[in-house]
Amino acid sequence: MTHALVAAAYGEMEGDASTIDLDYTVGRDGADAAFYIARPGRKALTAPDDGTFLALFDEDIAIELQKLRRELYFVHAAVLSRGEAVMLVAKPGGGKSTLTWALLHHGFGFLSDELAPVDLDTLEVHPYPRTLALKREPPGTYPLPRRTVVTSRSLHVRGVLGSVVRAPAALGAVVFLQYNPDASGPTIRRLTSAEAGARLYANALNPLAHAGDGLDGAVRITAAHPCYELVSADLRATCALLARTLETPE
Amino acid sequence: MSENYPRRRSDISARVVVDETVVLDLGAAQIHQLNATASFIWDRCDGYCTVAAIAEKLTGSFDVDCETARQAVQATLRRLDELGLLDPARE
Repeated sequence: MTHALVAAAYGEMEGDASTIDLDYTVGRDGADAAFYIARPGRKALTAPDDGTFLALFDEDIAIELQKLRRELYFVHAAVLSRGEAVMLVAKPGGGKSTLTWALLHHGFGFLSDELAPVDLDTLEVHPYPRTLALKREPPGTYPLPRRTVVTSRSLHVRGVLGSVVRAPAALGAVVFLQYNPDASGPTIRRLTSAEAGARLYANALNPLAHAGDGLDGAVRITAAHPCYELVSADLRATCALLARTLETPE
Repeated sequence: MSENYPRRRSDISARVVVDETVVLDLGAAQIHQLNATASFIWDRCDGYCTVAAIAEKLTGSFDVDCETARQAVQATLRRLDELGLLDPARE
């Protein structure tokens, strides 16, 4: 069961096994059959249920990736592709995975729903195609497939629609997402590079690993691309508004 | 804040982006965005410019009269001080 869970969450990231950067052993143990995550030379992490297990695993991998690839500027964001990469930045629970799922129905490709590692030299975003994980069922207009894996904390969508992008993609836009269920409709506005830079910095995961305490990286990203604040409401209308804006930037 | 010669805290990072400024206060775990006017004032908080001199320079660079500039400088300095971005007054 543990391996099936890992496959459900990370199956899209399966690749060449000749190079191993991180070595994990996972399973269940003890009288309560708690989940464990073990790595050589480190005390094992344990989780009482499947959802907590995947959340701990996610967190650990995200931290270890930041150590392995210190040169990349990691942002807590979803990333989609429509010609160029579009970064969707939001607070936890801000609706980025739900909007990502909806946008996949409208021709966007998938790079990540959680982690955006940016190469500050090329301004390309690396893919992190861990399975799209939703906290709750999306509205009925975007139903989940039957193969969705349900845990105590999240819904993992196996085999996302559209293409999974497996190579770094040039960044095209940064969108700061805010969910407002009471709004009569979605709205979008262009942000100045400075406002976007401040917002991006607040969502950076490893800024202190970079020059200028990470401020230079945030500013470099936002100064080079159009940045928007998107207040989402009705999902279909939000997708249409974002697609229109990206097609005809101001 | 020094009433006469406002000065930015030396341990704060700032970057100018177009005509605005992003200010990072790691000690307070805060990041701020200053608009063009606030950026102009911030840039002159060097410990050598008086409040009156900053207001005068603002009048020369923006299309505002002396009184409007003075009020804008005072309000901005007050806000920067509330945010803890200026050096405390020297006795």
